[in-house]
Amino acid sequence: MSRQSLLPGLGGIAIFLAIWELLIAGGIFQFEYLPAPSRIAIGLIGMLRSGSAFVEIVHTLAATIIGWLIAVVVGVTAGAVLGLFQTARRYSLASIEFLRPLPAVAFIPVALLLFGFSLQTELFVIVIPCLWLVLVNTMGGVTAVSQRLQDVTRVFRMSPIDAVSKVYIPAAAPAVLVGCRLSMTLALVLAIVAEMVGNPEGLGYAVVREAQALQPEMMFGYIFITGLLGVGLNSLIIGLSALILPGVFRQPSIEWEQA
Amino acid sequence: MKRIIALFPPAVGLLPLVIGLILWQLIQSGPSPLFPTPSRWWTALVALALKGVLVPELVVTLWTYIVGLVIACVLGFVLGILIGTISFVRRWSGMLLEFLRALPPAVIIPIAVLMVGYSPSMKIAVIAITTIWPVLLNTVAGVSQIRSLTLDVARSLRMPWSVILVKVVVPAIIPAFLLGVRIAVPLGIIITLVIEMFTGLPGVGRLMILAQRNFNSAEVFGLLSLVGLLGFALNLLFTVAEEMILSRWPPRIAARR
Repeated sequence: MSRQSLLPGLGGIAIFLAIWELLIAGGIFQFEYLPAPSRIAIGLIGMLRSGSAFVEIVHTLAATIIGWLIAVVVGVTAGAVLGLFQTARRYSLASIEFLRPLPAVAFIPVALLLFGFSLQTELFVIVIPCLWLVLVNTMGGVTAVSQRLQDVTRVFRMSPIDAVSKVYIPAAAPAVLVGCRLSMTLALVLAIVAEMVGNPEGLGYAVVREAQALQPEMMFGYIFITGLLGVGLNSLIIGLSALILPGVFRQPSIEWEQA
Repeated sequence: MKRIIALFPPAVGLLPLVIGLILWQLIQSGPSPLFPTPSRWWTALVALALKGVLVPELVVTLWTYIVGLVIACVLGFVLGILIGTISFVRRWSGMLLEFLRALPPAVIIPIAVLMVGYSPSMKIAVIAITTIWPVLLNTVAGVSQIRSLTLDVARSLRMPWSVILVKVVVPAIIPAFLLGVRIAVPLGIIITLVIEMFTGLPGVGRLMILAQRNFNSAEVFGLLSLVGLLGFALNLLFTVAEEMILSRWPPRIAARR
């Protein structure tokens, strides 16, 4: 987001919150469990001051990042192998395309069956869909390396190691980074879902817990933190990508995690 | 038709999956509490269907999913055009939409449960609210990518705005809109299943959680493959539909390259 759109952007949020506050203060909008933004803010401050929210934030953040890292390491490796060897691709692509649309959450009961209510369940649910995303993007990036560049590696009689490190990796890097970025947001989404239905820890569980305790202020507070975490992780990875590959991420694109 | 077939990888690629399942079936001897053989998945599914449970719940899942998705597509398209064409709305709502987009979709479920309670209409509303974002944001992006020259031409031809909308804006944003729907289709399935798992409202998601609670692993794996087939079928259906629509409205109109 450019600096130019920062002011109206913040203004838009302020107007949204003001209307919400007024509708409730004026009694026009009455849901029993919809608190005004000011009450949510008070709840949020209390939560942060007592430090009770930090345990949950750390748990969710750790699960997200560990799951993401596993998915990136495995996905990039497998994607690179499939991208480099046409035979491997030919004999496995249809399997991947068949398994990929399997809804991520459908793995929750399987994971619960295998691992019970534990961190493994959460990681299992995070890793599988993120893995597909990284794998497919890496494979796409490698196969899209232009014929001319591939010819260059042959003409120069580059060793396979040189060809990979000097030609394929730089050429495929933008696509790989897109996969990594999208899977980062996806990892957070899945961590929250897994915590809501599977592993009773972290922010996802906190939201459910406060909802069941009929504490809407606390619930909205946790939801707000979750949103901030999403924005933060996304800008972090965009920043990192921009450091690694200047210029590629200047154009903000609208994509959406495919879960 | 050839173009549609060309979208899919060669069928020999299914070999690893098939071999894996066959090996699973052959190596696994005797009943296993955690890894039942694929043939047992099938018998478990058939048993569930014969009890008269499976089909109604599957219908409920599909029905709510489709209704929610259609609402999201229609609303997302209309709102997307509105937000996209009115530039001050676009500028002022940009950051808010970005924040709402970054919210993990599943957290809407506890809010909805608390405010509306458990009901089928809550389920449809949640599916619609969560799947509207990709459609809406992509439509907005599509509108903002229409070349200003195109709009100038329309204006200098003195087209009324309703004609501009129908003849210029709508055809130009169809590819971007479809991109949004492409993302909303799998997202919608996930949300539908999560709602059913979380609230225990009727549907395949609830069946999966019930099977897991009863440690009925064959049923869990059976339902998992059923849901996988469902996801695959919906994806296939959408790909074919998208290809047919895009051959009528090719994406080059919107591209600003």
